[in-house]
Amino acid sequence: MDKNFQEEFTHVIKFKPPLYKQRHQFVKDLVEKYKPKKVADLGCADCSLLRMLKFCSCIEVLAGVDICANVMKENMHTLSPLPVDYLQPSERSLTVTLHHGSVAHKDPCMLGFDLVTCIELIEHLEESELEKFPEVVFGFMAPSIVVISTPNSDFNPLLPGVMLYRHPDHKFEWNQGQFQSWALETARCYDYSVEFTGVGHPPTGMEKAGFCTQIGVFVRKYPQTGESVQSEKPTEAVYKTVFKAVYPSLKDEKYLKNAVISEVIFTAQIIKHRLMSKREEYRDDPERKSKFQPSMDCFPDYLGKLVVKKSMEPFVSGNEVYIPLATIFSVPKVNRLCGTFEKLCKLIAGKVTLSSDGSAVVFNIEDEDN
Amino acid sequence: MTGRARARGRPPRQGSAPPAVGDAPPQQTPQPLQPQQPQQLQQLHAPPPLSEEPGGHGHLRGFESVLQERRPEGLQVSSGLQDLSLRDRGGRRRDFHDLGVNTRQAMVHVQESKTGFSGRMIKLTTNHFRLTSRPQWALYQYHVSYSPEMEARRVRSALLFQHEEHIGKTHAFDGSILFLPKKLENKVTELFSRTRNGEDVKITVTLTNELPPTSPTCLQFYNIIFRRLLKMLNLQQIGRNYYNPSDPVSIPNHRLMVWLGFTSSILQYEENIMLCTDVSHKVLRGETVLDTMYSLHSQVGEERFRDTCAKELIGLIVLTKYNNRTYRIDDIDWDNSPKGTFRKSDGSEMSFVEYYKKQYNIEISDLMQPVLISQMKRKRGNIQGPVALIPELCSLTGLTDKMRSDFNMMKDLAIHTRLPPEQRQREIGRLLTYIQKDDNVQKELRNWGLSFDYKTVSFTGRVVQGEKIFQSGNMLDYNPQFADWTRETRGVPLIRAVPVDSWLLIYTRRNYDVANTLLQSLFKVSPSMGIRMSKPNMIEVDDRTEAYLRVLQQRVTPDTNIVFCILSSSRKDKYDAIKKYLCTDCPIPSQCVLARTLSKPQTIMTVATKIALQMNCKMGGELWSVEIPLKQVMIVGIDCYHDTVSGKQSIAGFVASLNQTVTRWFSRCVVQSRGQELVDGIKACLQTALRNWSKWNKCLPSRIFVYRDGVGDGQLNTLVNYEVPQFLDCLKSIGTDYSPRLTVIVVKKRVGARFFAEFGGGLKNPPPGTVVDTVVTRPEWYDFFIVSQTVKNGCVAPTHYNVVYDTSQLKPDHVQRLTYKLCHMYYNWSGIIRVPAPCQYAHKLAFLVGQSIHREPNMMLSDRLYYL
Repeated sequence: MDKNFQEEFTHVIKFKPPLYKQRHQFVKDLVEKYKPKKVADLGCADCSLLRMLKFCSCIEVLAGVDICANVMKENMHTLSPLPVDYLQPSERSLTVTLHHGSVAHKDPCMLGFDLVTCIELIEHLEESELEKFPEVVFGFMAPSIVVISTPNSDFNPLLPGVMLYRHPDHKFEWNQGQFQSWALETARCYDYSVEFTGVGHPPTGMEKAGFCTQIGVFVRKYPQTGESVQSEKPTEAVYKTVFKAVYPSLKDEKYLKNAVISEVIFTAQIIKHRLMSKREEYRDDPERKSKFQPSMDCFPDYLGKLVVKKSMEPFVSGNEVYIPLATIFSVPKVNRLCGTFEKLCKLIAGKVTLSSDGSAVVFNIEDEDN
Repeated sequence: MTGRARARGRPPRQGSAPPAVGDAPPQQTPQPLQPQQPQQLQQLHAPPPLSEEPGGHGHLRGFESVLQERRPEGLQVSSGLQDLSLRDRGGRRRDFHDLGVNTRQAMVHVQESKTGFSGRMIKLTTNHFRLTSRPQWALYQYHVSYSPEMEARRVRSALLFQHEEHIGKTHAFDGSILFLPKKLENKVTELFSRTRNGEDVKITVTLTNELPPTSPTCLQFYNIIFRRLLKMLNLQQIGRNYYNPSDPVSIPNHRLMVWLGFTSSILQYEENIMLCTDVSHKVLRGETVLDTMYSLHSQVGEERFRDTCAKELIGLIVLTKYNNRTYRIDDIDWDNSPKGTFRKSDGSEMSFVEYYKKQYNIEISDLMQPVLISQMKRKRGNIQGPVALIPELCSLTGLTDKMRSDFNMMKDLAIHTRLPPEQRQREIGRLLTYIQKDDNVQKELRNWGLSFDYKTVSFTGRVVQGEKIFQSGNMLDYNPQFADWTRETRGVPLIRAVPVDSWLLIYTRRNYDVANTLLQSLFKVSPSMGIRMSKPNMIEVDDRTEAYLRVLQQRVTPDTNIVFCILSSSRKDKYDAIKKYLCTDCPIPSQCVLARTLSKPQTIMTVATKIALQMNCKMGGELWSVEIPLKQVMIVGIDCYHDTVSGKQSIAGFVASLNQTVTRWFSRCVVQSRGQELVDGIKACLQTALRNWSKWNKCLPSRIFVYRDGVGDGQLNTLVNYEVPQFLDCLKSIGTDYSPRLTVIVVKKRVGARFFAEFGGGLKNPPPGTVVDTVVTRPEWYDFFIVSQTVKNGCVAPTHYNVVYDTSQLKPDHVQRLTYKLCHMYYNWSGIIRVPAPCQYAHKLAFLVGQSIHREPNMMLSDRLYYL
């Protein structure tokens, strides 16, 4: 191939979206496909992949490991829960942890993951580290899936300005053959299967060069190992935790309780409000009642339909309004949160004023008038 | 400093023109609302992409504000080099602390001392903490340039920080300006780095400045460092403050959640640099904008739905689900939906649904919802102009006006937010303990060579003597401690009681009884006040706005003294229509009262007394007075009302005293649409006020005091440089030989400072009349605090007075005393209020016009307190 032709290409090649985004998207698609619960990103650097993954609703544990603590520290706050996460705790639980350590060392905190990603990691490893890497990831961590991406040096001639390696910190860059033989050997050794793909398509006519970034997806062939096997492994902690964030979740009783109480009282208030305004209208202006009723009844729709059974009807007695818990429980949102009526009663116990037999929420309407 | 702007390094540009003296004020240029047309909406920006999440740029958020040096008058701190590099950023960012506005230096008589002397001493503590730095501490400011030029800030940072062994681990860098706690060996340091692409880059780090601890740049720098500390303590930033999300108080009755947090600012005070920190409560709502829309829809129905949404939602601040940003809702685009598209920064089109799915994995469930529009005031990253938000993904924060007027809700909230002095001080102390105990925070502080005094500052204030209240020759014997003379005024005739000979009483049929009870009560209470009251013209109307208006058109005569309307609901449109008609087309004072207020037999006499007093004031009566020792003085009050709902109008209320006893007030207001300057209108107001004063007093006032309220954080500069000269201009225009003494005082109710009186080992609110003019005031200002009011629960908030212009030659003590006296003169409250009466009158007027009338009221009413 003549040199001029190549140079022409070097000006043309520009990936859209940028290559790093394509790599992240690749991981995200994989997560969507396999729905792992626990995901670890080795060499997480500025945490940008983790930041993207925290929005994936299947993930409950997210961990990052990097050899440089500073780069993680600089960006770790972006992994903290947002105000809204506290306001509307989600159904799933999520814990994000960042560890400072090397992928050449085993640490028990890395056990039990479903997916381990090593995006543009291995080319930064020294030879000695690279030697230990397969044993740590495939032998020790042994997740069901491992994703490894690395630059494809076959593609380098097509990139402008790349002399030796794409980044000064790269210790090596493999061509397709080198990567694949390493990957196949590793897979064989630890009983994984591997498939090769990549992101960053070569320009037409240059297909031989392969993807700009080559990716190997390793899938463990043997089933999940039991706890017993893992406990035999060395368990001394060598990683240092630099960041940990536990997201508020409805799985946590504290947040569930708050959510349920809030929903119960709010629902009860709406029902009470409806009841009272109906009464007031009736008292003040009997002839107008019919005219106003339709608009009142559609607030909110489902409540209107629900209050049918006599036993579930809210009522006023003296200065108090009684709203049966059964009515409140029939509201979809409350129902979804609690699951069972017993759970509802348990969660609101002591926090919501109930009637003496515990069957209804009670409001005193005296207070309202001042 | 909201800390959101992203700084972008630029090399200093030698050629840029220096700022002309007195050039455009550094205020935001109002953007005209763009017509909402579909093609324009195509260009809306979606909220910033993931990579721009706050905190993502781990280094100095809001660093730009540090760099934005004001043009100091007399405070020459920064080198020319820095000034140059900053000029082209323009005045987008506001300086919330009004640093660099030095008004005291122009007032010779307060150069030496600005403190008063009268009253008894009182021991006070405050919520200020001294910031200490080691001796000879300085902050070193470097300029960093790259050759070849690097554009991206990230790259610039990364390249520079490859040399941490040279510059140290402690640094603050915004892409072009680097702050270090230590001095580098050489004035100019050259470093060499290599980019990812293998390009060699020469970095030149040049020392541009050694900043002493008190320089304004340093002060802003402290504030940024302090924000870093708060973030390290895992507090969440919402708006300007930081909150602790882990222990929220939830108020399920109203679906509210309250987060406890802290406000903080570090400033140069009289003798020390201090941190002023106060407890702040953030009210958050557990519902999204879409939830609110649903419930509004079911409440008001299809017909009024859109209007109601606009009324309820526009102006609110929302928090987005996917990042830590807050936006103000400026408009609702009903023609758009999540299916609509926007243009991404790379030029491609994408629908909102797609965007949120792709970027945040969020499924938008309701595809029919409208889209919220937020006009960005500042450029945020590469995003400018309107931003589209999806209601479903926005959480509401704060309270709406409707919620504020909900008595029960506010009562439930107050339990959690009104902390008594001891508890408040304890919460504040807790923040300081966190800072003291946290290793990382301490390390950061140590690295910068900074530290705090973890004990609050205490000092002595003064409690000036109580003012005597006079009513028709009687001196009321009230207890100044309670700041209230409601009981003492009973049975004492008013200074000037206006007879009510001809008046209308309008009510609906169901309020017939209420109207009668009211009438009986009024007849019972008015004689002792000296008010002669005839039988009214009783008119029954249908409960419709048009019915009220028709009655007014038919029955009001030129002889009518006042119109009294009993309203059956707090529906605003009826009230607005009545007020509008009676303030503009047919200028007659009016009194509207809710039937509910009159329905309780046990309170009817108190209510009737208050109503009688109010009616009397509205017709030009006078209630009580205090001693005003100054002669020929005119007192002016100005306040502004900003229409947040339509966002189109601002109203300035202007009142000026008419007589020696300052019991009568002239009023006017300026209705000003977006983009117009307020000052021109105020000039005209002052002119008419002077004309009226001279009509009443047969001469012109020799002294004028202007109490100016409604000056926002960061607007002081504008006020000093534009408004005050306009006042002077106006006075000059009256006549060449006329040169009265003018004093302009900026009144600020929302201040961070809190004072606590040490009392028997505990902390109490300071008594009314407490004046503070040392330690926590600012050296460059002639300013003081007065606590004039009392509060039943919670902490009393002092009012800050900043005398920005003064040719009165009066002693500070006299200015303080006059100010305190004026706090006694608000006729709608028989007690002392937070601000001087003219400010409160101006506020009332601006509020009435802004809320109900929307244009300047008829001048026929201008000598009466019709707006009470």
